[in-house]
Amino acid sequence: MRETDCCLEAEGIVLKAGRAPLTVRFRPGEIVGLAGLDGHGQEVFLEVLAGWRRPLAGEVRHSGRAGDAPRPIRNFRDAMRRGVAYLPRDRRRTGIFPALSILDNFAIASLNRDTRIGFISPRIRRERYSRFKDLLSIVADDPRRTITTLSGGNQQKVLLARLLVREPDVLLLNDPTRGVDVATRQLLYGVFKDLASKGMTIVILSSEIEEAIFLSSRVLVFRDSTLSAELSGVELDNDRVISAMFGRAA
Amino acid sequence: MTATAAKMKGQAERFRLPGIAGIGFAGLLFVVLLLVNVYLNPERFLPHSWGTLIGLAAPLISAALASTPAILSGRGGLDVSIGPLMGFVNAIVVTIIIAKWGLAGPVAVWVAAIVIGAAFGAFNGFLAAIVRIQPIVATLGTYLVLAGLTTTIVPSPTGTIPSWFSGLSGAWSFIPLLVIGLLWFALTRTPYYTALMATGSEDRAAFTSGLNVTLIRFLAYLVGGVFAGIAGLSLTALIGSADPNIGETYTLLAISSVALGGVSLAGGRGGFIGATIGALDIFLLQSALIYFNVSTFILQTAYGAILVLAVASTAMQKSSGGRDL
Amino acid sequence: MGSMIAILRRQPILGAVLIAVLLYFFGLASIDGFGSTFTLRSMLILAALLGIASVGQTLVIILGGIDLSIPFIVGFANVVAAQLYGNGMNFALVCLIVAVLALAIGAFNGALSARLGLHPLIVTLGVGTFVQGAVLLWTAGFPSGSAPQYISNFVSIGGSIGPLPFPGVVPAFLVMTLAVAFFLARTPFGRRLYALGSNPPAARYALIDPVWMWAATFALSALFAAIAGVLLLGFTGSAYADVGKPYLFQTIAAVVVGGTALVGGRGSYLGTFVGAIVLTEINTLLIGLGFQPSAVQAALGAVIILLVSLYGREAHLREQI
Repeated sequence: MRETDCCLEAEGIVLKAGRAPLTVRFRPGEIVGLAGLDGHGQEVFLEVLAGWRRPLAGEVRHSGRAGDAPRPIRNFRDAMRRGVAYLPRDRRRTGIFPALSILDNFAIASLNRDTRIGFISPRIRRERYSRFKDLLSIVADDPRRTITTLSGGNQQKVLLARLLVREPDVLLLNDPTRGVDVATRQLLYGVFKDLASKGMTIVILSSEIEEAIFLSSRVLVFRDSTLSAELSGVELDNDRVISAMFGRAA
Repeated sequence: MTATAAKMKGQAERFRLPGIAGIGFAGLLFVVLLLVNVYLNPERFLPHSWGTLIGLAAPLISAALASTPAILSGRGGLDVSIGPLMGFVNAIVVTIIIAKWGLAGPVAVWVAAIVIGAAFGAFNGFLAAIVRIQPIVATLGTYLVLAGLTTTIVPSPTGTIPSWFSGLSGAWSFIPLLVIGLLWFALTRTPYYTALMATGSEDRAAFTSGLNVTLIRFLAYLVGGVFAGIAGLSLTALIGSADPNIGETYTLLAISSVALGGVSLAGGRGGFIGATIGALDIFLLQSALIYFNVSTFILQTAYGAILVLAVASTAMQKSSGGRDL
Repeated sequence: MGSMIAILRRQPILGAVLIAVLLYFFGLASIDGFGSTFTLRSMLILAALLGIASVGQTLVIILGGIDLSIPFIVGFANVVAAQLYGNGMNFALVCLIVAVLALAIGAFNGALSARLGLHPLIVTLGVGTFVQGAVLLWTAGFPSGSAPQYISNFVSIGGSIGPLPFPGVVPAFLVMTLAVAFFLARTPFGRRLYALGSNPPAARYALIDPVWMWAATFALSALFAAIAGVLLLGFTGSAYADVGKPYLFQTIAAVVVGGTALVGGRGSYLGTFVGAIVLTEINTLLIGLGFQPSAVQAALGAVIILLVSLYGREAHLREQI
C-alpha cells in the first residue's frame, strides 16, 4: 500500500487513558465498518475522525484528492472544509431543523452555492435539490413544505444530500440507517456502494452487524475504547465480529 | 428557549442543597457587601435595628422568592407581573380594604392580600400552563393589566395604614418572610417539590413518566402569586401608604436577584436560598451606595455591571459549560 | 369556520392582518375623526417608530433569544445624539458614532450570551441598565440638545415627502420592511438565523457559528434601536433617557402579536410589521375612546393576552416528544 493511496489516516489515537493507541489508514473507494457494543469507543473514534472531538493522543490526517501530503485535521470546521463530511446519529437532535423547509434543510450547509450577488436564487437551489432528489429517490411532493412532513427515511436522505452536495471525499456515517424503513435502507446501501466505487472513502458505524458486514470490505471492532479486531475477507463473519465485541478471540 | 434539554440531562443533583456552585459568587458578594455595609453604617446592623433592616429588605427578598417557583417550573417559565401584583395588593389593601371598607384588622388585610395574590397567580398559571401562552408574554399582559388597574385606582400616592401594619416593617418585619419561608419549606417536604424540579429540568421526561405537568406548572404560578401577595404586605408596611409606581420597579430587581442567586432561568435548578442571597446582594449594594450619597446613575451602572459579572462568573465556574438559561 | 381557524393557526400573520383591518373599521365606526388623515398619519408614524425598534427584537427572537436592552439603547442613542449635535458636532459624524457604539454594545450582548451560555434576558438587561446609567452620568442627568431640522421633518406629523402626504419615515418604514423580509428570506445570514433558532445543536454540525451569529444579530438589534432613538429625538424635539421605556414590552408584543413565537426558528418581520400596526391601532383606539393612560395600559395588556391566546399558543407537550 503506497502512502499516496491514503486519503484519511488516524495515527496513534488514544481514546481513553491507558488504552492501546490505534493507527488506521482509510483508502479511497473503501467502505470501512465500525462495530462494537454501545459505548466501547467506536462512536468516539468516529467523532475524532470527524474533528468533532480531540483524542487523548494522536492525530488525524487528511490528504486531498491530488495526492498531496496528508495534513492534520484541526477541528470540525477544518474537516468539513477539507472534504471530510460527518453525518451524526439522532437526526432529530443533531440533524434536521424542524421548523424549516425541505429545501432549507438541504441547502443549509452549502448556502453560498445558491447565491448570486449575495442573494439566494430559489431557482438554482431547486435545481441542485432536484439532482439529489433523483439520486436518492427522495419522496416529497413539495420541497417548500417543512421537513417534518417527511418520513424518517426521507429525512435521512435529505441530511445525506446536505453533505453530498459539498462533494466530500470522505463520508463518515454514524448509524445512518437507524429508524429508517427497509426500502430506504436498501436504497442507501446502493448509494453508499456507488459512491465508494467512484472513489469516496466511507466509514460507517453500524449497530447492526449484518449491515456492517454487508457493506464493508473490512470491519474494525471496538472493545473498551480500543481496537479489538480488524476483520476482512474470509474472516469477516457474524461470529467473529460478535466474539471480538466481547473481547474473545473467535 | 430551544433545545438545551440534552445538556440538562446530567443534572442528577436536584436533591442537594440548591447548587452550591451557583451561589458561589452571590455568596461571596454577600459576605463582601455585608462587611462593607457594617463598616460604613454599624448602627444599622445592631440588633435593635434588625427589625427595620429586615423591613427594608423584605419587599425585595419576598419579590425574589415570589418569582422563583415560576422560573423553577421550566420551559421559559417566568413571572414578570410580580412587581405590579405587589403594587396592586398595596393599592387595594390601603384604599379599599382599609379606607373604603373599614376593615383595618390583620385578618382582613392578610386574607385580602393572599386571595388577590392567589387569584392573579392562578390567572397567570392558567395562561401559561393551560392556554400555553409563552410565560413571558402572558405575564407581560398581566403586568400591563395590573399596572394599569393600580394607577387607575390610585392615581397618586395616598392613604395611611394602621399602627399594627407599620409594625410589620419594624419589630415584626420578619413575619411575612417567615410565612413565605414556612410555606415554601412545607412545600419542599411534599412530592410536589420533586415533581416541580423534575418538570423544570426535563419536562418531556416528566410528562412521559406520568406527572401532570400542566397542573404542576399551574400551581407554581399560583404559589408565586400567593408569595407576591404577602410581598405586597411587606411593601405596604414599608411605604405606609398606597403608591401607584413603586410596584413596577420590583419586577426587574426580583428577576435579577434570582439570576444572581444561581437559579437557572431554564428551570429545574436552584432554590430559595440562592434567590434570597441574590436579593440580599442587591439590597446591600443599594444601601452601600446610598450611604455614599452617590447618584442613582452610579447605582444604576453598578447594578447593571454586577448583574452581568455575576451570571458570567457563575457560568464560568461550572465545568460543564452548559448553557445556563 | 373550523377550517378558517385552522388556516389562521398555520399562518398567524393572516390573523394579525385580519385583526388590524377589523380594528380599523371598529375605529371608524366608534370614534369621530378616526378616519381623518391626521389620525392615519399619526398612527403610521408611531407604528413606523415601533416597527423600526422592533426589527432587532424580531431577529433576536427568531434566533431564540430576547433583547431587553432595546429601550436602553433607544434612550442612549437619543441622548448621545442630542448631546453631541447640540455641542456642534457634524450630524453625520454623530450618527456614525452612535451607530458604531450601538453595534459594539449589541455585539457584546450576543457574544457574551452565546460564548458563556448565559440567558440573553439577563445579559441584555444588565448591559442595558449599565449603558443607560453611564449615559445619564455623562450628561449629569440633564440631557440637552435636539436633532437637526431634517430629522424632525422626516418624522413630523406635518411633514411630507415629495407628492406624498406622509413624512419620510412612513415610506422609509415600508421600504425597510420589505428589505428586512427579503434579507431574512433570501440571504445566507437569514437562513442560518432560522436554522440556529430552530435547532442549535444541529446548526453547529451545519457549520453555523453560534457566537458569530449571536453577536451579529444582537448588534443589528442595537443598531435599529439606535435608529429609532435618533428618530424619536426628531419626533419629540428634546432628549430624554427614558424615551425608550415603552419599547421594552411593546417590541416584544409587536413581534408576538405578529405571529412569531418566542421559541425561535420561525416567524418573519412581516408579522412584526403588522403587529406594530395592530398595537398602534389599539393604543390610538383606546385613547380615542376616552380611556385614561392607565386604563389604556391595562386594556393593552388584556388585548395582548387575548390575541396571543387566539393564535400564539404553543403545542402541547405530548406533541413535542
